[in-house]
Amino acid sequence: MAPALEDELRQVVGSSHVLSRPEELLVYEADGLTHHSATPRAVVLPADKTEVVQIVKRCRAHGVPFVPRGAGTGLSGGALALDGGVVIECARMNRILRIDPEDRIAVVQPGVVNADLSKRVAPHGLFYAPDPSSQQACTLGGNVAENSGGPHTLKYGTTTNHVLALELVLPDGKLVQLGSATGMTVGYDLVGAVVGSEGTLGVVTEATMRLSPIPERVETLLGIFGEVVSACRAVGRMIRSGLVPAALEIVDRRTIEAVEASVYAAGLPTDAGAVLIVEVDGPAPAVARQVERVREHCVAEGADQVQVARDEAERQRFWRARKGAFGAMGRLAPDLYVHDAVVPRRKLPEILESICEIGDRHGLRLSNVFHAGDGNLHPNISFDRRDADEMARVLAAGEEILRTCVEAGGVISGEHGIGTEKRDFMGLLYSEADLEAMKKLRAAFDPTLVCNPGKLFPTTRFCVEANPKARGYDQVPLG
Amino acid sequence: MSAAADVGSLAEGLRRELGAPAVEEIELDLEGARLGLRIAPGPGGALGAALRLLGEAATPALVRGGGTRSAFGHPVPRARVLLETRALLPPTVVDDEDGIAYLPAGAALCDLREHVRKVSEGRWEIPLDPPGDSSTLGGCLAAAAAGPLHAAPRDAVLGLDVTLASGEPTRCGGRVVKNVAGYDLAKLYVGSLGTLGVIEGAWLRLQPAPEAREVWWAPVDDPRQALAAARAASTRVAAWLSREVAAELGAELGENRAGPALLVELAGDAPAVEAEARAWAGRAGAQRLEQGDPMAWLRARQGRPRGLRVRVASLASALAEVARILEEHGAQVLAYPARGELHADVDFSPGVSGDATVERILRGARLAARAGQGDFVVEDAPLAIREVREMFGDPEPRLALFRALKAQYDPRGILNPGRQAGRV
Repeated sequence: MAPALEDELRQVVGSSHVLSRPEELLVYEADGLTHHSATPRAVVLPADKTEVVQIVKRCRAHGVPFVPRGAGTGLSGGALALDGGVVIECARMNRILRIDPEDRIAVVQPGVVNADLSKRVAPHGLFYAPDPSSQQACTLGGNVAENSGGPHTLKYGTTTNHVLALELVLPDGKLVQLGSATGMTVGYDLVGAVVGSEGTLGVVTEATMRLSPIPERVETLLGIFGEVVSACRAVGRMIRSGLVPAALEIVDRRTIEAVEASVYAAGLPTDAGAVLIVEVDGPAPAVARQVERVREHCVAEGADQVQVARDEAERQRFWRARKGAFGAMGRLAPDLYVHDAVVPRRKLPEILESICEIGDRHGLRLSNVFHAGDGNLHPNISFDRRDADEMARVLAAGEEILRTCVEAGGVISGEHGIGTEKRDFMGLLYSEADLEAMKKLRAAFDPTLVCNPGKLFPTTRFCVEANPKARGYDQVPLG
Repeated sequence: MSAAADVGSLAEGLRRELGAPAVEEIELDLEGARLGLRIAPGPGGALGAALRLLGEAATPALVRGGGTRSAFGHPVPRARVLLETRALLPPTVVDDEDGIAYLPAGAALCDLREHVRKVSEGRWEIPLDPPGDSSTLGGCLAAAAAGPLHAAPRDAVLGLDVTLASGEPTRCGGRVVKNVAGYDLAKLYVGSLGTLGVIEGAWLRLQPAPEAREVWWAPVDDPRQALAAARAASTRVAAWLSREVAAELGAELGENRAGPALLVELAGDAPAVEAEARAWAGRAGAQRLEQGDPMAWLRARQGRPRGLRVRVASLASALAEVARILEEHGAQVLAYPARGELHADVDFSPGVSGDATVERILRGARLAARAGQGDFVVEDAPLAIREVREMFGDPEPRLALFRALKAQYDPRGILNPGRQAGRV
């Protein structure tokens, strides 16, 4: 890093909030996708929007790119500073600025942890609906960047459905307000464009979030199936019937085995092919009826057993199996590749079979835990990246899975984003013209490509613009 | 020179590309434009070829669906060609197993709703409200037209096929219900008023048809008081009607209504609707409406031109104040309290009503939006007003981004130039 820039950044945020020693930067080499890494030149931790504006302006003046980062729980390499850029770490901007129960809104800084918002508004009978599995750690700024989902998006939608307004520092350092607390859009829907843009259109410094009322009643069911495809068929039956549960999650046999051998053990039968967790919520009379409908659909598809949680403790136990799955699988191997793709829900049974076959054929330990109601698959591969041969098989299987999902009418990411992980697979889904249309949006916000460059778009196209080695792409194994 | 002669050489090229029946020479003054050609290209290559020719000739087009929202947005005086979307009819797909559908932009939304209902045997509905009988799907999406039942067209869209001004056919999103692969361009196109591209078809997420449905109304003084009822879980629609609007609905139903009222539709699972209805039955002055279709009346009223209409957004806590300001400025108010949305109508006849009427309602809208910490847009106004006044509140803070987007997507300015906020 040019000393002049480092000095300038220290003047903006104070010396203790600029990290530049190798051991300090190590933490920022990767996000949750550990087999992609790149070392930033520096990490800067602003306290507020005025500091963000100054950081962006100074980076720009020095021709140094910058990357906004939340908690680093992302799973697509989206928060990597690929080209020796500066990471703008939002952890100090972690205040909930306003909670308005009657208006059902909260204004937050980007570093607020997702679960903390729901905890803070619960006394008002409200909650923040998007609940990614990492919600105890991930930040709302990161959620906005990735348009994060979670198990309850089936009924409540993803982050984009819950962001009303944004304050954004544009890549040229200007501060703009997008949207309004009322949710009304005047002119182009810029909030809709920015949510899910993976931090490439600017740095979010404030967000106005929609809060939802805690439902009158919640019931959680656990369907135990002999085969994962039967659980998938039960999901299909529910969707077809017009039933919209709050969540429809499947955990397969291999995941159950891992969970039951871990601290997350939930007492699930390890001889089951899969469990289906179904949560229904709403007015009490409707929920009682929906519980019966769910039970009927599960039984019709051959469920061995359908349990309804008798109390909150049991409900939490059911969810522990789902939410603790990734942690439990961490015990199986040094690395875990959490894949993410979406298929039409009716195709779940056949796609699940294909995915398991792909994993077996490549000799990999592949398990599935996924948002079945959305068709959002998470094939998880436990592996050791130090084993070059296994690493190659992991990447080959991953590509094959993506191709299979796209051929079935699906897409290559449902909630993790593209980042560096899938940028070279965008061509599976989109034509040159489709990608050019996306680049027009990018160009309107960031014509000089200084904000989180190297994400989303295929590298072959970026290679035309700059030497990939100089931009740091050579640090990213692409398989 | 006549309007047709103005575009004579372009007409030749368009006939070659689209076929003679899709190209008609006209002399039409519409939306402040002097139009010499009407074209109705089909989907795919035809639309792309038409846009390429328009671009080469640097000839702007007025892009129009059913025309039911043509008074929304600024006029397009530079347009010389009327580009109608009625022939954009790619094949329809209704996947009732997955609760999704691919629907053509050029088709009437009313017809599509009926089609989906039939194919799915009444199990699924399109979550969009057509402003009028002839409203097309593409027009509704381009205008982000909301209605009494459905507030946010953006949330219904899973994917779009859009032909850009360059003539390139593009796709964004897809048929699956969850998708973060790349930028969410569908959000950008919905509500863009046809200024960034032409929508050909859309993947929509369908909504399960409710098992039970009841409509009630009750006297309620202001929209803030109506909030609790509006936020009840089984309430699908809650509309607060100011005194005059309530009287209008009363006349429609053959009843005499003397004061402001709340109109609600309860919908969903039968046991929940029944429980909610029991609560309504115990409410002072509440009455179940079993005659007519008040929701269809609401939709039709919202779609019908009144002369001058403003939509104001407000926080829930300011709803009563915002309604009061609008009424004090001479407006009849129809509010959707749960959405923080208020529609203010003034009967306005060009040549009869004066500038003072316009000034008054715009002043009221500004004050109301400020009180509600929201924004406002003029949804319906005579051409003469739209030619000189900004129709989208105060777009200034975001104008540079709007212009940058227009420059990227439509550098030659051939698609509804000037129609969007800030005359972009």
